[in-house]
Amino acid sequence: MSRFFATGSDSESEESSSADEITPKAPGTTFKQSLLLSDDEEDTKRVVRSAKDKRFEELTNLIKTIRNAMKIRDMAKCLEEFEQLCRAFLKSKNIVDKEGVPPFYIRLLADLEDYLNQLWEDKEGKKKMNKNNAKALSTLRQKIRKYNRDYETEIAAYKENPQESADEEEEKEPGDSGSSSDSDDEGGDEGVTAKSFLKKKPEPTPEASKFLKTAKGSGDESSSSEDDDDEDWSSDSVHSGSESSDEGDEKTSSLAVVFLKKTLDTEKSEKRLGKKRKPKKKERLEEEAEEEGGEEVEGGWEKVKGGAPLVKEKPKMFAKGTEINIPVVVKKLNEILQARGKKGTDRAAQIELLHALAAIANENNLGQGIMVKIKFNIIASLYDYNPNLAAFMKPDMWKKCLDCIDELLDILFDNNNIFIGENIAEDSESLAISDQPFRVRGCILTLVERMDEEFTKIMQNTDPHSQEYVDNLKDEGRVCGIIDRLLDYLETKGSTEEICRIYLRRIMHTYYKFDYKAHRRSLGLQGETKSEQDQEESEGEDSAVIMDRLCKFIYAKDRTDRIRTCAILCHIYHHALHSRWYQARDLMLMSHLQDNIQHADPPVQILYNRTMVQLGICAFRQGMIKDAHNALLDIQSSGRAKELLGQGLLMRNMQERNAEQEKIEKRRQVPFHMHINLELLECVYLVSAMLLEIPYMAAHEFDARRRMISKQFHHQLRVGERQPLLGPPESMREHVVAASKAMKMGDWRTCHSFIINEKMNSKVWDLFPETQRVREMLVRKIQEESLRTYLFTYSSVYDSISMETLSEMFELEIATVHSIISKMIINEELMASLDQPTQTVVMHRTEPTSLQNMALQLAEKLGSLVENNERVFDLKQGVYGGYFNRDQKGGYQQKQSYQRVQTILAATS
Amino acid sequence: MASRKESGSGPTTVMASTGGTLDSPVKQIQIEGLVVLKIIKHYQEEGQGSEVVQGVLLGLVVDDRLEITNCFPFPQHTEDDADFDEVQYQMEMMRSLRHVNIDHLHVGWYQSTYYGSFVSRALLDSQFSYQHAIEESVVLIYDPIKTAQGSLSLKAYRLTPKLMEICKEKDFTPEGLKKANIGFEHMFEEVPIVIRNSHLINALMWDLEDKSTVADKHELLNLSSSNHLEKSLQLLMDRVDDMSQEIVKYNTYSRNLSKQQQQKHQYLQRRQQENAQRQSRGEPPLPEEDITKMFKPPQPPPRMDTLLIAGQINNYCQNVKEFTSQNLGKLFMAEALQEHN
Repeated sequence: MSRFFATGSDSESEESSSADEITPKAPGTTFKQSLLLSDDEEDTKRVVRSAKDKRFEELTNLIKTIRNAMKIRDMAKCLEEFEQLCRAFLKSKNIVDKEGVPPFYIRLLADLEDYLNQLWEDKEGKKKMNKNNAKALSTLRQKIRKYNRDYETEIAAYKENPQESADEEEEKEPGDSGSSSDSDDEGGDEGVTAKSFLKKKPEPTPEASKFLKTAKGSGDESSSSEDDDDEDWSSDSVHSGSESSDEGDEKTSSLAVVFLKKTLDTEKSEKRLGKKRKPKKKERLEEEAEEEGGEEVEGGWEKVKGGAPLVKEKPKMFAKGTEINIPVVVKKLNEILQARGKKGTDRAAQIELLHALAAIANENNLGQGIMVKIKFNIIASLYDYNPNLAAFMKPDMWKKCLDCIDELLDILFDNNNIFIGENIAEDSESLAISDQPFRVRGCILTLVERMDEEFTKIMQNTDPHSQEYVDNLKDEGRVCGIIDRLLDYLETKGSTEEICRIYLRRIMHTYYKFDYKAHRRSLGLQGETKSEQDQEESEGEDSAVIMDRLCKFIYAKDRTDRIRTCAILCHIYHHALHSRWYQARDLMLMSHLQDNIQHADPPVQILYNRTMVQLGICAFRQGMIKDAHNALLDIQSSGRAKELLGQGLLMRNMQERNAEQEKIEKRRQVPFHMHINLELLECVYLVSAMLLEIPYMAAHEFDARRRMISKQFHHQLRVGERQPLLGPPESMREHVVAASKAMKMGDWRTCHSFIINEKMNSKVWDLFPETQRVREMLVRKIQEESLRTYLFTYSSVYDSISMETLSEMFELEIATVHSIISKMIINEELMASLDQPTQTVVMHRTEPTSLQNMALQLAEKLGSLVENNERVFDLKQGVYGGYFNRDQKGGYQQKQSYQRVQTILAATS
Repeated sequence: MASRKESGSGPTTVMASTGGTLDSPVKQIQIEGLVVLKIIKHYQEEGQGSEVVQGVLLGLVVDDRLEITNCFPFPQHTEDDADFDEVQYQMEMMRSLRHVNIDHLHVGWYQSTYYGSFVSRALLDSQFSYQHAIEESVVLIYDPIKTAQGSLSLKAYRLTPKLMEICKEKDFTPEGLKKANIGFEHMFEEVPIVIRNSHLINALMWDLEDKSTVADKHELLNLSSSNHLEKSLQLLMDRVDDMSQEIVKYNTYSRNLSKQQQQKHQYLQRRQQENAQRQSRGEPPLPEEDITKMFKPPQPPPRMDTLLIAGQINNYCQNVKEFTSQNLGKLFMAEALQEHN
């Protein structure tokens, strides 16, 4: 129920209730009393009245549905509603105690019982009824019998005098239908009701006429008295003082009607219901006459649109003949806006009203200032349309908003003399057409930002695999266009802060897009084949240049840390996306973001994660396997990459978080078109891990304290080992595991065929912009690392090996083989030396065999055992103190244990 | 295993009367060739890898000689037949064997081993219960790996009387073991084994030996050693680790004990001083309190496991030593041969 409506009926019920309380005195006096009620009094009583009114409203509504159900013989519905009614009645017990059982309630009880009895008698009809209905009928009959016992006297009284109530009902009916159908034909209705009133009470009371007279007194006075009325009627003084006198006339007449009716009401105190309806209706009419934007706007709005009435309505917006000038429009605007945010305000209608107002302003050439102001408000109302911040705007709503912003920007661009700003106070606005520039309150930047956020929300809430998503995504261009325009505008007019903000918006829309134009151009320059189309396309600025310019401005000018952080991250992301690894890395290192990113808010952290991932993938493309692995390690090792990148919620956490948290997390999600392919990410990580881990494992096969480089990779290997049956690899992971196994044996060809094949191409490698180059890099890496692994694993088998053979085996140039082996020798990974003249590697065989390794380990363990043992002796020294010298003993033991090891070693060699 | 005790209770009395001195009732064990073959076959068919197979030895005692004339295997434990009644099975087997006129007296049990790892709590417990019930019983340890290398490895063990005493009293505390003056060397005693075959079989064997080719004995000359040694070392290392842990445990215990002792000592001293003061003042001395209640000594760790681990380590070392010495011999031989050629 709208507030306006509620208050309206409040004031009315006040009247009726006061009338009730004072009960059937002379109509005149009651009327006077109600009229004389002071505001204070009203305030104190209001709560009670409204409660009562609300309850009765509820009851009557229920009764209405019951009657409808009775008409269609829907017993089940009837029963249901009746139960609700009983409950509602119980709730309103307080009021009922005070006021007595409302007659309409009694009436229903009586009618219902009669009706049920009638149905019950009608055996034929009962047979026809379906099971549910029949059942409901019997239950309801029993219920009502039981229930009615409490109200026997009242029902009896009613039954004695059913005529009266029937009459009343008749009267009630039109009102009901009117309210339910939101009065399309309000005018006609009005006439009917008014007439009926007049019929019933033809002569106006003297008081009323008196009142009329005063109302007619003068323009000013009338408006003031109107205000008084308002307080009486609705307390909500939405009434504008701008009502012109002729409107006042109209109003007063209607007022008269209302008063007339009221007197009548008070006379017939019993007919509470009808009475209540009627004044309410009156009031509604009145509101309509004023064309106020309250809850009734729907009705009003229909009229505005409704063809013929359009002309008639116009004067309702602005009374006929009113000179439409800026103050008037502003006032109107304020009126409309006052309803904003109020419960029950029809937001759609409000938007429409604002549009109409804009049209009027335009028609009357009121200047761009006012237009801008109205546009601001239209956009704001569009945003308000959704009461819940979490919910997303409807795409068409949002598109309307886009149009508005576009128009607004048009105006702003066309008229250089409009100043807008949040800091311009309402009263210092200058909207009038004059030599002075316009000054309008409002911030276009905020609106655009909001628009952008709404866009993100829409994208978040659209199924990414539907055509709808694609359609929505097409609007991204428009969003970018608007942001670009605004950027141009603010560059000339805005403050640095605003520029920073809009720059960030621009960056946010740029950083994740791969600049194919620039990419192609860079290729084209090399190939020197430039088609005309290429030339055309390359007109625009490179996104890299734009990013650079915008980000640098932000680095220099921004004072809020967040914008700068975001800008840096986006910049890095953009660099990484375009394979400018060194710039990206340097920027990341220089920014020191890694140290303090955990203090940032989640969206920034998500951005950071995205950037790190992109950085890792970039490193991989450049062949910096180790860097790639390090960059991806944090994200991948947690196993929550999806969550960390804001690309989806993990099911696992469902029970851990409540609905509220989930909503928040959902809002953080990155729209689908910005997602980083998780499979690609995992594959890059696993392949990097493979290239690092396999040679490492081979090198440290017997090292007891070997550390894993990548836990996740090991996990995958173990999963692979656990398979009872090993078929050909299917998934990306299986491919990598199979490749790892091949690499362990130094079989680079098999490894290569597992990593790069059609399946993997389509799943992973083709997602890179420079697929071919990446693949070549990968093959080379596999060859090199396989060579290393081979040497680690089988060096003990060889006395010497020719580099030529190796180069043939791994299809690497001799120089590369030479450099790899040299590096291994230098790092003391391979105990060998190079024999230059014969181009062979001579193994030194200093590496212990596995048995020797074991023996060494055993020696180590024995050493610690002896140490522990000695500690026991230390404690016992008090007892065995002088038995033998501890040092000697220790030395002896040590020697012995080593001797044993020595014998073992001797035996094996 | 302990349940098997009852099964032997019948024959015990019979054999106790026939048995020799209490100190060492069995000086020698004579095994029928049949038993050896049965044991080997049992392992070959049922045991794999580190799994062990077990069975019951049947025979009789003649003077100080234990003659093992037959055996039957225990079925492998599986999870499906949890309610398998071992006692019932044994009794039935023995009864059935008696029907076909086979020695049916329970004289011990056999077990296979993996790289000589058999010194364990389980073996100790069951051998104790056997020896407790049937004084002469032995445990035969069959090492299939060594056997595969070319020489049959079958060893008979008995618990020493000292260890029997300790096990009977179940006193495994450091003090108890110290009092018993037992070390890992004195836990088990090995009984010499003689394999006896009937003359007919011996004749057959001689016949066969003549016919067999050299190739059949190749295993003996196998020079590769690292695999066996690696496995042994691995096991040895595991034991050493266990040993270290035990020592650490003991260490903490003794430290706690000494700390408490100190506290106790301090407390007593203070009490004495106070009493002396009181006496000088003519007051009655403080009542004696139960000191043991105030200072509960820490639970001493059972040392039996340590002993067993030590025994096992010793066992491993012996194995490795044996193996390496053999291998060294082989290597020298091979070298000499090389030079000769």
